[in-house]
Formats: sequence, structure tokens, C-alpha cells
Amino acid sequence: MTVDDTRRDPGIPVAAGREERSPDPRFVPIPPEAEERSSDPRFVPIPPEAEERFSDSRFVTIPPEAEEALPPADTVTGKLGRAFFRRLPVWPLVEFLSKKKVPRHRHSFWYTIGSMALFFLVVQIVTGVLLMVYYSPSQPWSSVQRIVMEIPFGGLLRSIHHWSANLMLLALFVHLFSTFFMKAYRPPRELTWLTGLALLGTTMFLGFSGYLLPWDDLSFFATRVGISELEKMPLLGTWIAGLARGGPDVTVDTIGRFYPLHVVVLPLLLLAVLSVHLFFVQVQGVSEPDSFRALPPEQKRYHRFFSEYLVNEIPIWMALAALLVALSALFPRVLAPEADPAAAAPEGIKPEWYFMVPFQMLKLFPGSLELLGMALTGLIPVLFLVVPFVDRSVPADRRGRVATRVGVAFLVYLVAMTVWGMVS
Amino acid sequence: MTDADKAGEVRRSSGVAQNEVGGRQGVDRGRRRFLWVTGGLGLAWLGLAAYPIYRYLAPRPAPDPFGEEGRALVKKVSPADVAAPGSGANGSYGQRGCIVLRTPEGELRAFDSKCTHAGCNVNFAGDRIFCHCHGGMYDFGGKNVAGPPPRPLTPLRVFEENGVLYVAPTDRKQEG
Repeated sequence: MTVDDTRRDPGIPVAAGREERSPDPRFVPIPPEAEERSSDPRFVPIPPEAEERFSDSRFVTIPPEAEEALPPADTVTGKLGRAFFRRLPVWPLVEFLSKKKVPRHRHSFWYTIGSMALFFLVVQIVTGVLLMVYYSPSQPWSSVQRIVMEIPFGGLLRSIHHWSANLMLLALFVHLFSTFFMKAYRPPRELTWLTGLALLGTTMFLGFSGYLLPWDDLSFFATRVGISELEKMPLLGTWIAGLARGGPDVTVDTIGRFYPLHVVVLPLLLLAVLSVHLFFVQVQGVSEPDSFRALPPEQKRYHRFFSEYLVNEIPIWMALAALLVALSALFPRVLAPEADPAAAAPEGIKPEWYFMVPFQMLKLFPGSLELLGMALTGLIPVLFLVVPFVDRSVPADRRGRVATRVGVAFLVYLVAMTVWGMVS
Repeated sequence: MTDADKAGEVRRSSGVAQNEVGGRQGVDRGRRRFLWVTGGLGLAWLGLAAYPIYRYLAPRPAPDPFGEEGRALVKKVSPADVAAPGSGANGSYGQRGCIVLRTPEGELRAFDSKCTHAGCNVNFAGDRIFCHCHGGMYDFGGKNVAGPPPRPLTPLRVFEENGVLYVAPTDRKQEG
């Protein structure tokens, strides 16, 4: 519809009056001079230059630097690009991202760990969606058995999902500690740090909820033990444990809760927090360690994020994909016998390594000391949560050095307890 | 403009100059070949990743309703239900539906109940076989007599053994 049309009263059928061959007796013919827009007394004529402005006001003007950067206007891509940026005023965003750079120094490698975790997350989403195709929460064990035994490449996909989950958590722990030792949690990046901790917690929760779904005896007892530890928590423990299980014991009803958590609620939460986390990283730029910041400007070297840095990530992702396939082929995830709530727990049953520390603490603090053990374990996330508000100054002061030493102690403690739990 | 940009520009412009004088074109050709090989390897890699996913999702063959015995038990219809001439009923065999009926002449017949038009299960309606979805109609011989169905119903061989009914494939080619 042209501008001209909109100004005409739609109630007056112009065509009927103008076209003499079909005179409709219900309407009066419009005299030809009234047809002329300019002579219609109901409308004020709009000057041509105003009309141009009117029709253009819906579009934004492309900034000159965008005109320069886009392909020539007579090419298809040039036309599409101009059409896009005339509609959406996002050129500043493109410009911002094109200027984004990553510092190059001898600790630069650690920047890659976050993108590794991101790669594993993508693998988790793809393999998880594929596993959902044949998984059935009402026949959990037999549907997983079918995936492993009958469906082509089903066992491989399940093993990749398992290995990618483990490596994602490993990458997140490494990311946590490398960020910690590079002091990247300091102002102004406290919120990035806190969202990162939330992402780690959500991922661990994803690991816990996904572990139950195959409904083999490992997953059954792991979930039973995990939730009964929760139950020992003072005050709210019993209530939370009952809600998590859907009853006094782990049953198929628990799968009814864990399945939607694992495939919908937690992934959505993870993606939401992740987009905030990445948004902060994009806006603030990646953190520079003190040693790099102290360099004179001419000695600071950078990679451009698009696409110098990104292209260098591709071989890393491909290597990780190869690693996942190799691990899955050499050490496929077994499906243990179907869960039997009445049978004895299998011999040598242990939680996944990322839950080994609380497991080992429970063994070390038996009986009445158990709460102390849980409190000590609970102290770790609390200390991580408060560190950006304690160690703030640049360059590092006494608090910064203390934070580093505490971090080293934590790392040694976590690794030692995990290894001890795994071998004992 | 970063150093990398400048270097790229110098390389590009020198490449053009060399082309113009008909000099060493090998530099650009080498780069082009590198890009083609990289792109080809990338596509091959994606294909390798896509193949297992396709196989995983590829349609599974339906189980043979007649099994190894070559016949299937008819459920929900007993011989008594179809004893009288002109009687009939909807039943099932395997995961599929069937219609068992006795013609007014006294002959026992069975058909797979999947309508040849759009796949609804047809209904035994006393004097005829009727499809509720689009009004298709079949006679007691399974022949499509009215409505949209393009072909007769798939006939099944039906027989009684030890007081229950069985169906088996007819010698004719199976349809739909």
C-alpha cells in the first residue's frame, strides 16, 4: 500500500465511481476533480520533502563507517547487509565486537578453558537431545538398554554424553582455579565470578540429576545416598529430601522429578546464567593479570577475538571432539543391572569424582562428627563466594597473597581428597 | 588497523601486482588450494560427525506382526463373535488393527483395518465397513465402494484353531 492509498478514506469506493462500466446504484459517483488528491478539501497537501521524511522515518541511517565496511551496494550481500542495518540499529554492537581483543601473555592458555567448557556444553545439548529421542522415563532402564544394545551408535552417544559431562565439570574446575589464581574475580568482575560459581553449581546439579535417569543400581544407590546426606542437613533437610525424592525413598517418581529438571529446568537456567556470564565477559573484556597490566602499552600484545582468536579455538574443539570419541570408544559407559530397591548395594560403589570430597568427608567424620564434616565441606563454596569482596586491591596486597595461599591449600585439599576417595 | 591487517594488505596488493605483470601466481594458487583442502577436510569432518547421528535417527523397521510362526493371534474377537452370518468385529493382531467378519454367505474373512486412503482404522458397521475419518466405505469383500479410498483393504487369511482366531498373510502382495 502506498502512502497515497492510506490517505484516502477506505469507505468511499473510488473504483465504483470512476469505472463507468459498473455503476453501482448505491453509491454516488465521485466527480473526476475530487479524485485528485490535491483538490480533496479533507486533506492538507504534504510537501514532497516532508513525504520523503515520513516514509523514511521507520528506517535508521547507516553510519558512514558501516557503509565503508559493508560489501558494495550493488552486490547481493551488500544489499542484504544494508537492508538489515537500516532496520536494526546494531552497527555499534558489530563495531564493538570487531574491536574485541584478547591479551597475549604466558598465561593466555587459561583463557581457553572456558571455551572448552562451552564446547562440552554444546556436545551435552546435542547428545542429550538425541538420547531423549529413545529414552523413556516410564521405562528408564529398558529404554537405556535399548539405546545401548539396539539403536545404531546409541551406546557411543550415551558414552559421549557421559564423558563430556565429566570433562565439562573438569574444565569448569580448572576454569575456576585459573580464574582464581589470575585474580580475575576482583572488581569490576565480581558478578562474572558469581555467575561462574552459579554455573558450576548448576552443572553439578545437572550431573547429579542425570545420574539417576538410567535407573541402574549405581544410579539408584548414588541418588539414595546423595539425598539422604541432604536429609541430615539441620532444619530443612528432611523437607528438602522428601520434595526431591517425591516420597520417603527413591522411586520411579524421583525420575519423574529429576527428568524434567535434567532436560528442561536446569539447562534453561544454565543457558540463562551463561548468557549473563558471557555478556559480562564481552562487555568488560577478558581480565588481564597484574603482570600484563603493568607492561607499558607498546609491549602489550593482543589477539583480535574475531576471528584471530576464534579460529585458533577450532583445532582445540576438534581435538576435544576426537578425545571424546576416543574415550567413549575405549571406555564406554556401562549400564549396570536394573535398580532393585531391595537388593544390596553393589560392591565398591562410589560417587562420581566431582562428588568425592563430600563422600570422603563423610567417611572421615563418622557419627556425631558428621555435621562438622558437612559444615567443613560447605565452607568451600562460601569462601569462593566471598573472595571477590575480600581481595579487591590492585596490585595485590596482603589479602591478595592470603587469597592465593588459601586457593593453593583448597586445590591441594580437593585433589588429595578426590584421589584418596577414588583409591580407598 | 593492526599489523596483521597491514601485512595482509601488502600481501594482497603485491599479489595483484604480480598477477598483472604475469609473474608468480603460485602464491595465490597455493593459498587457494590450502583453503579448498581445509574446507574439504572440514566438510568431511562434519560428515563423519553427522553419519552416526543419522544412523541413530534412521527409521527402525517395524516388527513383523506375524512373527516367526507366520501367523498372529487375533485379540478382542473370538470365534463366537463371528459365528452368525453377517456378523463381524474390530480386533487386533500384533500392534495392528483388523476386522474379522462372516459374510451373509457364511464365509469367514479378515482384513487389516488400516484404511487405504489416509491410514485411519476402519470400523465394522454391521452392514458395511466404514472409515470415520473421511467417510470411506468398503464392502464385505474389502472392496472400496464409496468415498476417497483408492484401493481395497489388505486381506488377511483367517482361521480358527483351539477356539481362538489367527490371521496370517495371504499369498497376495501385502499393501500399506
